[in-house]
Amino acid sequence: MTSSIKILRFKYLKRQRLLTLALIITAASLLFSITALSLLGFYKGFTAYLGGEGGEDIIAVYNSKSRTPYTGSVPAYLAYRLASVKGVVATSPEVMAPCLINDQAAFLRGIVPESFTKLNPLKIVRGSMFNLSDFGSAMVGERIAKRLGLNLNDRLLLIGVLADRYMELWVKGIFASNSIMDDEVLAPLHVGQWLRGMDYGSITIIRLKVDRSTVSLSEVFEKVASEAAQPIQPIPGQGKSAAQEPVMPWTIRRFSIEDIGVEEASKYMKGYMERYGVTREALVTLSAAVFLFSSSTIVIALKTVLSQHKDELSLLRALGASKRLLKVDMLIKLLPWTFTASAAGFLIASAILGVIQGLGYMQVLSHTVPFWLDPSIAALNFILAFTLVSVSVLGSGIE
Amino acid sequence: MLSEKLLLRRPGTVSAILALALLVAIIASMNSVINYVNAQSEALAGLVRIGETYIILSRNATALTDSHIDARLANCLYEIDEISQAFPQKLLKAHLKTASANLAVNIRVVENLEDYLKFNAASLKGTFARNSFEADVGEVLAGTAGITVGAKLTFSTNGKTFNIKVVGVYRTQSPLDAEILIPLAAVGNPYAEDAEISIIEFKFKPGVDRAIALKRMAERLPSSIRIVKVQQPIIFMQNINMQTITFLNVWSIAVYAIIVAASYVITLRLMAESSYEIAVLKALGAKKRHIFASIMGYAIAVAALGLMLGIALGLVGAQTASTILKWLQPTVEMSPFLEAEDILKTLVLTLASSILGCAYPAYKSASLGYMEKPL
Repeated sequence: MTSSIKILRFKYLKRQRLLTLALIITAASLLFSITALSLLGFYKGFTAYLGGEGGEDIIAVYNSKSRTPYTGSVPAYLAYRLASVKGVVATSPEVMAPCLINDQAAFLRGIVPESFTKLNPLKIVRGSMFNLSDFGSAMVGERIAKRLGLNLNDRLLLIGVLADRYMELWVKGIFASNSIMDDEVLAPLHVGQWLRGMDYGSITIIRLKVDRSTVSLSEVFEKVASEAAQPIQPIPGQGKSAAQEPVMPWTIRRFSIEDIGVEEASKYMKGYMERYGVTREALVTLSAAVFLFSSSTIVIALKTVLSQHKDELSLLRALGASKRLLKVDMLIKLLPWTFTASAAGFLIASAILGVIQGLGYMQVLSHTVPFWLDPSIAALNFILAFTLVSVSVLGSGIE
Repeated sequence: MLSEKLLLRRPGTVSAILALALLVAIIASMNSVINYVNAQSEALAGLVRIGETYIILSRNATALTDSHIDARLANCLYEIDEISQAFPQKLLKAHLKTASANLAVNIRVVENLEDYLKFNAASLKGTFARNSFEADVGEVLAGTAGITVGAKLTFSTNGKTFNIKVVGVYRTQSPLDAEILIPLAAVGNPYAEDAEISIIEFKFKPGVDRAIALKRMAERLPSSIRIVKVQQPIIFMQNINMQTITFLNVWSIAVYAIIVAASYVITLRLMAESSYEIAVLKALGAKKRHIFASIMGYAIAVAALGLMLGIALGLVGAQTASTILKWLQPTVEMSPFLEAEDILKTLVLTLASSILGCAYPAYKSASLGYMEKPL
């Protein structure tokens, strides 16, 4: 016990040599953190895409056969029908239309402004919101405005992607939503239908804001199922429901219930990503694999430190220190270095991601990938680094 | 050469090669997966049914209403054999007043209005406008402003007021549905005053090789105009893919930074564990540059071997992971691959990073006397 206390006080590891090890741990942590924070940011951003984080009160009615959230088609009149269900606070029919603006890829979302803002309150940074009948107007998110250099009253040339359409819109307002929607252009519903090549009776998705204490997911689904089953009936009193109608009246059309899905918005997006093997667990595993692939460099750095301290360690062994004592002592001495280096790697990664996000290099599907300083990633980073250092030190052959 | 072989036979060389190989494998596997995803998305974009429409507008125009082109250009287009239909148009921003609405509208003054509506697969209630006092109105605009066939409209544009009679309401399921269409030579000829039009919309005859036709057109038409394909799924997808590649490139910088650090550590370890051999070489008269070259040669050899192993590991690893993923999730099917360009880029950057990492310790080691001990 006495000898262990004495050896703990003896500073036989040279700081300059340990700096190299710390540098390597910092670099490996940096790589892990950049990978994990960006991948999880992408995952979190897209799962919150339609309803905000955890948004259990936002329900998506979508085409279950479509391969992407942008390419489905559901009957628009369902928005009207669902608006009358007790517990449905607001319905937002939306059309997602990929397009080119000033030769850059972008997404336009056709909306009914009054309904949309009940689900996603927008902060108008400049200008004002368009009306449903302002067919030449658009609102642009502040990030896409920055990326494409757009200003208020600018005129945009939009080129279609899924349809042989082009049109000109003028920027009536710039909004901020503090979500990945800030990379989109909002326009009246019909503009989305034109650019997407849809008829006036179809839309991409219906989002509902519901009071979960009054209405359940299954009740909404039952309503959709009853619409699919019953013969076509006219919409009574068009224009008088809670769902604001666009100019072209909703046309009723037959559909198969197998084609329609009803799900919480976040689960709906998770479902899409899981279909392609993208889960939170898979992304964390991928990041950890990246760390482990770079871990052999840490092992080499540790071996280098041991080689560089060969004389000191031999001397301590000759003075009676056991191999076990030396290994444990080294581990204790390396603990603060490992902690500091992994924390530095995490912080530098966050700073780098902040910079590359600001420069617009962090984009997937024309949406900026958000990232959060996730403490679980920082903790996992330290655990991985310390485990690796422990295994390397305890497994080292100190003579 | 002999000294390099001596260094390469050290027991730590294998682990050094493996360390670099694993780092290169990260880059290679990520590149291969992204290549597959990008190729798939471009292939999917290629499946989209692409329309026939092109527009001609002035080169410097950022929007349609900014565009000003000579009206006589249309005559040139009619002479081009490959073009089946062309529609010169003047686009006007106007203010429309009706009994129920007061709004800003787009007016399209177009030649061959009847053919133009047919070109846009329009369904029409009423008749085609045929003279300067008639117009056809899009169904969406008609719904918004309460316009019906037979209605008389007053609109103002460029400080002038015009009166027209609505003779038809059409539906095209396109932005035209929110516009007013007037035949060319109507509205007191608003375009004729300056002999300028805004755009020309056209399409080629079936079976025409568009690339050749566009090249021929570019030779005949003035350089002040540009031709834009109206539907561009492939350009869109390339743009999206470029975003992923850009992020991957920025991310790769972190991996190359570790390769620099790894090479530095590998060289330090070489110095620590081969100090005796290096001291012997110096004692035998080896010059500084000889020692420096030997250490650099060692680092480059390790990097080259690590690179080859890493690329193979990365590709095989990504393909194995894809196969496992397919077992777990049958809907996922991936075949990651690497392009020659990726391999070349990885090769150059890995070797450059390795040289950068080992240069300083190699120089320090070469500079020490044979009795001195490296740090």
